[in-house]
Amino acid sequence: MSSIENFLKNAVTPWMGPKGEHSNIVMSTRVRLARNLKGFRFPLDFSREEAEEVDHQVAAALEGMEDFSHIPMESVPAIQRQALVEKHLISPQLADPERPGSVILSGDESVSIMVNEEDHIRIQVIYPGLHLLEAFDRANDIDNRLEEALPYAFDGEFGYITSCPTNTGTGLRASVMLHLPALSITSNMARIAQAVARLGMTVRGSYGEGSDALGNVYQVSNQLTLGKSERDILMDLRDLAERLIEQEERARRALLEHSPMKLEDRVWRSYGILTNARVLATDEAANRLSDVRLGIDMGIIPDVDVSVLNELMIFMQPAFLQRYAGETLQPGERDVFRAKLIRERIGMGRQSGREN
Amino acid sequence: MICDNCNERPASVVVTQSKNGKTEERHLCDVCAAHFQPFQGDFGGDPLGIQQFLQNWFAGPGAFQKTAQPQVSNGPECPNCGLTFRRFIERGKFGCAECYNAFRKELPEVFNKVQGGHTRHEGKVPASYSGRIAAERKIKDLRRQMKEAINQEEFEQAAKLRDEVRELERGLEEGGGQDVVD
Repeated sequence: MSSIENFLKNAVTPWMGPKGEHSNIVMSTRVRLARNLKGFRFPLDFSREEAEEVDHQVAAALEGMEDFSHIPMESVPAIQRQALVEKHLISPQLADPERPGSVILSGDESVSIMVNEEDHIRIQVIYPGLHLLEAFDRANDIDNRLEEALPYAFDGEFGYITSCPTNTGTGLRASVMLHLPALSITSNMARIAQAVARLGMTVRGSYGEGSDALGNVYQVSNQLTLGKSERDILMDLRDLAERLIEQEERARRALLEHSPMKLEDRVWRSYGILTNARVLATDEAANRLSDVRLGIDMGIIPDVDVSVLNELMIFMQPAFLQRYAGETLQPGERDVFRAKLIRERIGMGRQSGREN
Repeated sequence: MICDNCNERPASVVVTQSKNGKTEERHLCDVCAAHFQPFQGDFGGDPLGIQQFLQNWFAGPGAFQKTAQPQVSNGPECPNCGLTFRRFIERGKFGCAECYNAFRKELPEVFNKVQGGHTRHEGKVPASYSGRIAAERKIKDLRRQMKEAINQEEFEQAAKLRDEVRELERGLEEGGGQDVVD
């Protein structure tokens, strides 16, 4: 087995897969429920003893349920913690070595329950493609089972009690990760972000800092958690995601109609760089990957599997690169390894694409 | 100072927004501030902005002038964790579940700001909680019946009702509630 195959075997997580509704544009769906226990201060203020007791109670409540494994953060080396962050299985906050916390992961990594992050419990479910209701049902099911065993903090007026007032009520944050290259190329995203804000939802770049959308990957999510039922929140978000998909598809058709040669050139140029470059910084890699993904979706590049691109968006991040390299890398060296990883993975993807 | 948005009403909220490395300050009045969704793109889409959005809570319209710094109280204090309402506003995070009770009077205004005008939960209710409500209602009803029984000197019946109430109350103390209610 080559080094890259070995690496992928341990690194791929199901949400990166090619399955799922609208999977050409929707990369993944994530649902998160925030819950807290009565009788313990919230993680921002609690004592080490309270942290341990909460952790103990949550772990005990899930004992014997499915194939969950309970992983205390302090037992995880820093680089693997970072890799869990890059796979979106834990938040950067939970990875903070100064704070106590643990994650309870399902065998297929579609469920991750963060214990003692900002709230005592955060149930997170990630599915590939657009599957808001299904992801919520799974999270809700786990929530019901936890509730049977644990004294949840709930208020008749304000609902589920959370550390931050932006989560109070349902404690539900649902988000859909979308690849919107055509809307970005045609400079439509600023206008869309404004329209989305008016609907009580938000759109932002999934990778990178602030509003910068690295690789044209955006995340739309509900902002409000109070005053609406879970189902209404999910349906509104699904409607919005579907509208964005429709607009992206329209923008893609327009590109193909009005500037086919420019589009084709852009896609193949990026493909050429990804398959030949020896040094690739994060920004450039993300943007070239976005072009190639668009090329695959539109049938311009025929024989690369689109899941390769999902994976590479994750694996080109620092922690995964270092796992791939098997050593700590300086920033300059990372760019070299990033280029190598992308070259090898696309090469592999082409082979399997042809065989299929 | 006049509101940057409507240019009519006096500004009472300062919003600091960082964009592309530049920090921008906007002075808004109550009305415009409520309409702007601080966590939805208009102010950069950063949920951490809550501290900034709430931190002028205790400051009146005149607070931005150096001369007018009125002495303001800390507001209510949570008896469980000791967090004051003022401190809550400053950091934008509660200390424990009891804080919600301690700040119950102030919270609708907070939620009005950060939850787009919504102040009441409309979603899922834990089964144990609905069981608790039902148990509490039933206790109230049994007590009323008990009183009636005593008034009519049906003491045997009253004693039976009293035992039922006790059992329900014990169930509530144990944290459940759903098991003792039909």
